Amino acid sequence: MDAKKLLYVDRRVIYLLVAIGALIPIIRPIGLPTVPTEPVWNLFNRIEELGPDDAVIISFDYGPSSEPELNPMAQAILRHCFQRRVKVLVMALFPLGGVNMAIGQLDRIASEFDGLEYGVDYVNLGYKDGAQAAMKRMDISIEALFPSDVNGDPVADMPVMAGARNYDDVSIVISLATGIIGEYWVNLVNAQFGVPVAVGCTAVSAPKYYAYLRAGQMMSLLGGLKGGSEYEKLLVDKYDFARELYETPEVKVSSAMAGMDVQSIVHLIIIVFIIFGNAMYFLMKKQEKEG
Amino acid sequence: MVSIGVWLNAFLTLCILSFLYKDNPFFRFAESLFAGMSLGYYIGLANQQTLMPNLFGPLFGDFSGNFVLLIPMALGILLYFRYIPKVAWMARLALAVYIGYYVGVMFLQKLHGEVLPQSSDTILRLRGIGGLDILWNVIFIVGVISVLLYFYFSAEHKGALGRISRVGIWFLMISFGASFGYTIMARISLLMGRFSFLVNDWIRPLVGAS
Amino acid sequence: MRRTIPLALTFIIGLYPIFAFFVPHARITYANDWLDEALVIVAAFALPLGTVNVIMTNTSKLKKKAKGWPYSIVLLCGLAIMAFYGLIGGTGVHPSFQWMFVNMVSPLQATMFALLSFYVASAAYRAFRARNIEATILLIAAIIVMLGRIPFGDMVTGGRMTPLSEWIMSIPNAAAQRGIIIGAALGAASMSIRIILGIERTYLGTGKD
Repeated sequence: MDAKKLLYVDRRVIYLLVAIGALIPIIRPIGLPTVPTEPVWNLFNRIEELGPDDAVIISFDYGPSSEPELNPMAQAILRHCFQRRVKVLVMALFPLGGVNMAIGQLDRIASEFDGLEYGVDYVNLGYKDGAQAAMKRMDISIEALFPSDVNGDPVADMPVMAGARNYDDVSIVISLATGIIGEYWVNLVNAQFGVPVAVGCTAVSAPKYYAYLRAGQMMSLLGGLKGGSEYEKLLVDKYDFARELYETPEVKVSSAMAGMDVQSIVHLIIIVFIIFGNAMYFLMKKQEKEG
Repeated sequence: MVSIGVWLNAFLTLCILSFLYKDNPFFRFAESLFAGMSLGYYIGLANQQTLMPNLFGPLFGDFSGNFVLLIPMALGILLYFRYIPKVAWMARLALAVYIGYYVGVMFLQKLHGEVLPQSSDTILRLRGIGGLDILWNVIFIVGVISVLLYFYFSAEHKGALGRISRVGIWFLMISFGASFGYTIMARISLLMGRFSFLVNDWIRPLVGAS
Repeated sequence: MRRTIPLALTFIIGLYPIFAFFVPHARITYANDWLDEALVIVAAFALPLGTVNVIMTNTSKLKKKAKGWPYSIVLLCGLAIMAFYGLIGGTGVHPSFQWMFVNMVSPLQATMFALLSFYVASAAYRAFRARNIEATILLIAAIIVMLGRIPFGDMVTGGRMTPLSEWIMSIPNAAAQRGIIIGAALGAASMSIRIILGIERTYLGTGKD
């Protein structure tokens, strides 16, 4: 066996193997189990304690580059909040795509629940520039920062805003973040104003955020697609509506639980690549010594 | 029936994926389109979501009550003076305010929001708790201190400092390994998203499969 | 004067939020809140700042018929169309703006990043080597965490992989990340003070005036 030849195989062969590994579970789903972990339980249990008199901020701080990871957890959290009839204030502080991510999902998810009314139970406040400046402003007045919603309609007369004037009226801030904005919610809003912050982040950011989680600066952390799948599992185990909803084809194919099938297969492929690559490397070294 | 939006979506996705075979005009076209549309998006977003409701709306609605907003408007316009050579120096005034504000806020964020809470949480209990918890706390404290000492470059890493730094490197390697594993997960999710769209939203409706 | 006034402005505006944090007097807080409001607007002007540079570069490329000039037309057309629908919508998202984002900008960005998964796999095969102790520790940690994030890990280890993976994330990983966070935060704070005090002036540019 020529180790060197195997080691320096055309990279397009590697790409093809990864592509096949990703396509097979999409075409034929496997349905692997998911086990929720404590960081995800924290947010779920907290929202379970909330009701119609409580308000949460859900900040869509991500764009298309994180859509597959964060859309499923965004939808699961929205469904949970709407089921509990918690007042939801949606906003975006991430410039590339946050507001459009919210537009694409909010009304669609709300329509799954009877009796929910825009402006009364939930509102999409849109995007605001400034990041930290915007966050600091909301300590005084959310309405002053967002005088109109994403469609340009004034929020002053919306009943949902009556119970959410500033951070004092907000039970949790849930930031679905692709980068530094999630940290700003923690090291500025939680640190200076004491608002509990939960972060749903891409898997790239999750290792760093464990330090914040341990220090109690974040009350919950949902890391990547796995975090989303865990939250969906908790929802499905608790509520019948969720169990039925996540069995429907349209919701099932785009769910994080289905995405974990692809994760599992491709992770295994990459682990095999690492082990095989190292084996070939050491074999090549041995052959060079002998040769 | 597949909509024109889905067809466009699929076409652009395949243009970008074609780069995996080799660089080609389809990829270059898609790349340039993305660069241009992203920039146009920023212009539209800033106007729709911030300038109209927070600046022009209040100014045109009640000028006498909001004329102070002319100050940030002037600062914002001054930023663009950097592109006019004769008056480029005036952009520094706006930049000074912008940079000054954000470094001031950042100073507080970093010290009050990171150094203090992270340091105080590292002061962990080593008595009065279960056996394994003491061990984990010891490992944690050793990890934080050794990593901090590894990044102390004002003294040479030899002797005791060298040995502690080595331990710090091991903790860093574990962390980087964990980060690598999570990064792979993130990238695979992106791939899954695109393939899921191509299969479920484009190909399946096209061939009439469910 | 052309450098002195900006340095003075940086000093005053930079110190003010710090001062206001420690002095919760009504007038101080009022001015601080106004500063927050003003900077939201200035940030909105700053967001598309680089666009001017890109337009100038690409129009120059077109004029000179430099290499790749047809792609400059594509770039400028994409910019113009998206900006047009962003500006005519007034307050609120124009439906065409949203449509173009969903069907053009979103797939383009998502697929660009999806390419990285292939490169990561290629790097894992070709470059990830257990050459020394440190690299081996990195490799082992990566494999344990990767197995802990997928159901297979628990299936082959009787449910032990997830707790082990969580332990790695919560103890050694969090410890190392905390060290990095504290170190980086101290560095950033010292850089902030240097800028506020005018010791660090590179943001003003290197012009002679």
